[in-house]
Amino acid sequence: MRDDHMKAVKEIIASTVKNNISVEAEKWLEDFIQSTDKSAQLAKVFVMLPRKTGKLPVAINNDQQEVLHAAGFGYIRNWTIDRLSRVWLLAGFDLGDKERLFSTINPLFLSAEVNEAVALYSALPFLAHPEIWVKRCAEGIRSNIGSVLEAIMENNPYPSENLDEAAWNQLVLKAFFTEKNINLIIGLDKRANLDLALTLIDYAKERWAAGRKVNPQLWRLVGKFINAEIFDNLKVGLQRYDQIEQRAIALAVSQSDYQPAKDYINTFPELKLALSEGNLNWDSF
Amino acid sequence: MCCSSSIERDKALMGAPEAFDISAVKGMKFFDPHVHMTSRTTDDYQAMADAGVVALIEPAFWLGQPRTGLDSFRDYYSSLIGWERFRSSQFGIKHYCTIGLNSREANNESLAEQVMEILPLFIYKEGVVGVGEIGFDDQTAAEEKYYRLQLQLAKEAGLPVQVHTPHRDKKKGTQRSMDIALEHGLDPYSVIIDHNNEETVKEVLDRGFWAAFTIYPFTKMGNERMVEIVKQYGAERIMVNSAADWGISDPLAVPKTAALMKMRGLSDQDIELVTYRNAITAFAQSGQLDEADFDAQKNVDLTEKFEGNTILRGGQQPRTDKSSIIIS
Ligand SMILES: [Zn+2]
Repeated sequence: MRDDHMKAVKEIIASTVKNNISVEAEKWLEDFIQSTDKSAQLAKVFVMLPRKTGKLPVAINNDQQEVLHAAGFGYIRNWTIDRLSRVWLLAGFDLGDKERLFSTINPLFLSAEVNEAVALYSALPFLAHPEIWVKRCAEGIRSNIGSVLEAIMENNPYPSENLDEAAWNQLVLKAFFTEKNINLIIGLDKRANLDLALTLIDYAKERWAAGRKVNPQLWRLVGKFINAEIFDNLKVGLQRYDQIEQRAIALAVSQSDYQPAKDYINTFPELKLALSEGNLNWDSF
Repeated sequence: MCCSSSIERDKALMGAPEAFDISAVKGMKFFDPHVHMTSRTTDDYQAMADAGVVALIEPAFWLGQPRTGLDSFRDYYSSLIGWERFRSSQFGIKHYCTIGLNSREANNESLAEQVMEILPLFIYKEGVVGVGEIGFDDQTAAEEKYYRLQLQLAKEAGLPVQVHTPHRDKKKGTQRSMDIALEHGLDPYSVIIDHNNEETVKEVLDRGFWAAFTIYPFTKMGNERMVEIVKQYGAERIMVNSAADWGISDPLAVPKTAALMKMRGLSDQDIELVTYRNAITAFAQSGQLDEADFDAQKNVDLTEKFEGNTILRGGQQPRTDKSSIIIS
């Protein structure tokens, strides 16, 4: 489905770049596109780009914003022009040959400063041959730099569409650890899995042991997989009497088929009431 | 760079410890244009922020021991504009760097050749405010060769140059560094000559270069001498830095020197020039340094990013209470 939109999205990105940079910068980029040794020049152009484009927030017109939004790329409106231009530069870069593409773009990751790294990971959904960037994306999740992690974790469709389960689970777990906005992880519900649920439960137990709160979004990833073992842990969580945590657990249980847990929730009158009123949902946490 | 003398002797020289009274310069802003934060701890960042340091420049240097391959240069340069910049941002301090092949490592010619090839990629990156620190250490032919090549690179890129002057045979080394810069057609106003002392300052200023002073215990300058130099030569084109690194050095050298200047009666205006403004004027010639970024750094990172980030582990607060025996 996304493929249908991709062409339109790329066209909008191209015209947005054009509308947001000077004639001089446009000419500089055009010279690069026309050059015969693009691969050799890519690194320098990529690095120098903010000096030519500036770093102001992009302006996107309403019609184009609607198309972007419908295709799941509405978040681009929050980017700066250097970030968008870098993504555009990479998105248009297809040498046809997979290996050559990889050997041209991969070194950019190796020497990237923060803003470059953010642009590189933001570009992942737009790069040709998505399968060759899987390892690179998994490596990015190991970063300790907040804005780089955000570029991978938040509003980025690439990870959920391409990562294997272990790398995906690592992304989600690290997002909790580094307190990213879990709501912005694309494909979160679709890629929920038992392994991840069990790991998150362990993580919740560590938090409890340290006397710390648990991000309520964690329970969203657990609901579907409730079994006897998980149920025992949920009971512990409910007994902590943290109202937000309790409500999140109740919502998770309401989305499971595990009857003993449902029955147990009903022994808490205020949780039973909150569920029956139907105004608990994951956006409310 | 630490000296070879024993700790015992140093102790004797140190005299009785005196507390640093920051109150003399409370509310002033400082810029440390030469400090190797890679070798420092997060506690140092915290102390610097508390003392009013709002921005700094980290010149590319060596790692205390020679690097043996190109990749470790690449990783080091990347960390200056990546991890180290981020770490600094967590304390609201704007981090810039200069990039170059340092003089000691210029002597490994086969490696130096390879480093020269990757330098152009790094000097154009955002927040790179100069080529540095480059110059002479042993004053060998190889050092001269790579100093010249890098001056040429700086000229092409329109970047200022941060020149390291040698410990040994300093006066001649400093003169030679300036002669060569002029030979390559660099404007002395774009060249910052570092690690000056009483013997070098006059000529550096007379020839139109910037004169930077490193306040570094036991070697280089002490800040009492620094006060006298500013009294004698004025504040124009003079800047103070800590060059804090792996050795026994002090990342608070700039605010401490400002405090001492204040106590010794220098004007606020002169203090501001030598501990803040002059460095900004000199390095802003790169087009990569904007004073407005300092405030942006404070706002963005302290309020929005502090929580979500990762020198901080989950739930950890950005600041610990050092006076408490309880660590939670
Ligand atoms: Zn240094």
